Amino acid sequence: MIRIALTMLRTDRAKCTAMILAVTFSVFLMQNQCAILASLYRMMTAQIDDVTDAPLWVMEPDTRCFEQAKPVKDGTLERVRSRSGVAWAVPLLKIDTMARSDSGLLCTVTVMGVDEASMVGLPSRFRIGQPEAIRPAGTCAVDPGGYAQLFPGEPVHFPRRIRILDESLVLTGMTEASAPFTGFPILHCSRVTALRLNKAENRTATFIIGDFTPGANRAAVCESITAATGLSAMDRAGFGEMARRFYNSQGVPRLFWITIAIGLLTGTAITAQTFSMFVREHTTQLAVCRVMGVTRARIIAMVLCQGLFVLSIGCAFGTGLTAITTHAAASEPFLRGIVLPPQVAAGTCAALAAITIAAVTIMARRVALMDPAIVFRS
Amino acid sequence: MNPPAVHCHQIHRHFGNGDTRVHVLRGIDFTAASGQITFLAGPSGCGKTTLISVIAGLLQPSSGSVSLFGRDLASMPPDDAVRLRRKDIGFVFQQYHLIPALSVAENVAVPLLAASMKRRDALEQASAILDKLGLGDRLHQPPARLSGGQQQRVALARALVHQPRLVICDEPTAALDHETGHRVMELLAASAVHPDRAVLVVSHDNRIFHFADAIAHMDDGIITHIDHPNATTTA
Repeated sequence: MIRIALTMLRTDRAKCTAMILAVTFSVFLMQNQCAILASLYRMMTAQIDDVTDAPLWVMEPDTRCFEQAKPVKDGTLERVRSRSGVAWAVPLLKIDTMARSDSGLLCTVTVMGVDEASMVGLPSRFRIGQPEAIRPAGTCAVDPGGYAQLFPGEPVHFPRRIRILDESLVLTGMTEASAPFTGFPILHCSRVTALRLNKAENRTATFIIGDFTPGANRAAVCESITAATGLSAMDRAGFGEMARRFYNSQGVPRLFWITIAIGLLTGTAITAQTFSMFVREHTTQLAVCRVMGVTRARIIAMVLCQGLFVLSIGCAFGTGLTAITTHAAASEPFLRGIVLPPQVAAGTCAALAAITIAAVTIMARRVALMDPAIVFRS
Repeated sequence: MNPPAVHCHQIHRHFGNGDTRVHVLRGIDFTAASGQITFLAGPSGCGKTTLISVIAGLLQPSSGSVSLFGRDLASMPPDDAVRLRRKDIGFVFQQYHLIPALSVAENVAVPLLAASMKRRDALEQASAILDKLGLGDRLHQPPARLSGGQQQRVALARALVHQPRLVICDEPTAALDHETGHRVMELLAASAVHPDRAVLVVSHDNRIFHFADAIAHMDDGIITHIDHPNATTTA
């Protein structure tokens, strides 16, 4: 009987196609927007999460996110190091500046100067080269998307030269730095190198990063640092949470959620409406089945299977479409952070499935409870 | 002695309440014997369709009792009633009600598939009966490609494929011309009449009344009289 139900659905090509397209559109819209939103959330904290070996972050109290951080005053490093509960601490200098590639291309870059002794502050993995290669002054490593922006269309090879202000820098390798929220290339170098590029300001660190002593109460240590220095101190998760709160307050995520809701409502409304029309048109045929002794449960199963068929095909098409578009977007260096996380793909399909199945179940129940004697009257 | 195929005792059925209450069946006493074709005749709106819906267990009577082959429908659990309908009753509808998405053979196989028979076996059985009814060359065609008479023959095959003990036909010739209707009735009489089987035909087409062993005339919710058109001929 399930096969009969699916044949009935497949034969009504216009409605079947309309329903599949509605689900596909809805899934595509929701997944696309969810993927961008999830990627933005990931990028909001990407540079914080990349520094896996330093759980403690100290910064100016005005700082709200990684991208909008004011440098800390000189002398702060020692005051942080002297606090009880701090195992170690090192400076991290972040500068946004302009770089010029050897072909003359100008590009805004984010330079991260890490402590040259410990090299703490680098991404955990390098795709090409070694962390030691950026220890000498005048050298740096670039992220994959950054390389594509600085040298568009050119094959990857090292060493290469770029200029920042009037300083010449040698690119010696490629990090696995996560795509940043700004989309700019991320250059990692030693703090000595970064200081040479920091001519606009005389501060030597943007963040103090470090670790807690084993067993220390993290909240208490952070409070003690704040009390001693007047700076904000928090662990990595806390800094990430603060950055997300800041970006949330800017209103952009709200716009994404509105589009996602529109996708969900439109998709389910069109699917439910078309499915309702389909079921109404086939009520007599289902009633004939009831008269011939098909049980109510089986009638419900037949209608549910029709709904699930439409849903699964639509979800597959929608997810495929989103995967293609996000893959295409990710190949653009500036949009390299846009990905479709599997959780987003599954979550959006599950949300749409839940609402659609609820709507289909209501219709299936209505059909099962109909008066089968209508077959004698129609 | 075998119990009658259908026995109705004082069947009342009304619809609605208060001022809108309509009394459709007003105390029907009716018996259809096995091995016979029994007609229910009467003008439109006299309650024929309501009565066969009650007999088929699709409608509950407001009062009275119906028994099929000696089994009281009212005392039967709902699942048993569905099972009885699936196994022991075949239906032929005025508008055929074939499923347009299915082929002729698949349409005929529906009662067997509803009884959970394997698809291949069901289609084999359906093909066999279609062959008997002269539609062996139309097995894989959609019903829409058939003429009205052929569609009614498919509906007849669907009603008979699971060898039910009772075949209920609702105006089986109403949508057919005289000649085609006559042929369909001949097929019905030849295929369905069997000592253990009964055929109940609702019709007001008096051109086919001579196929009946008994004709129960209905008017305004009651059976006014019963004719036995073949009784004098056989006597």
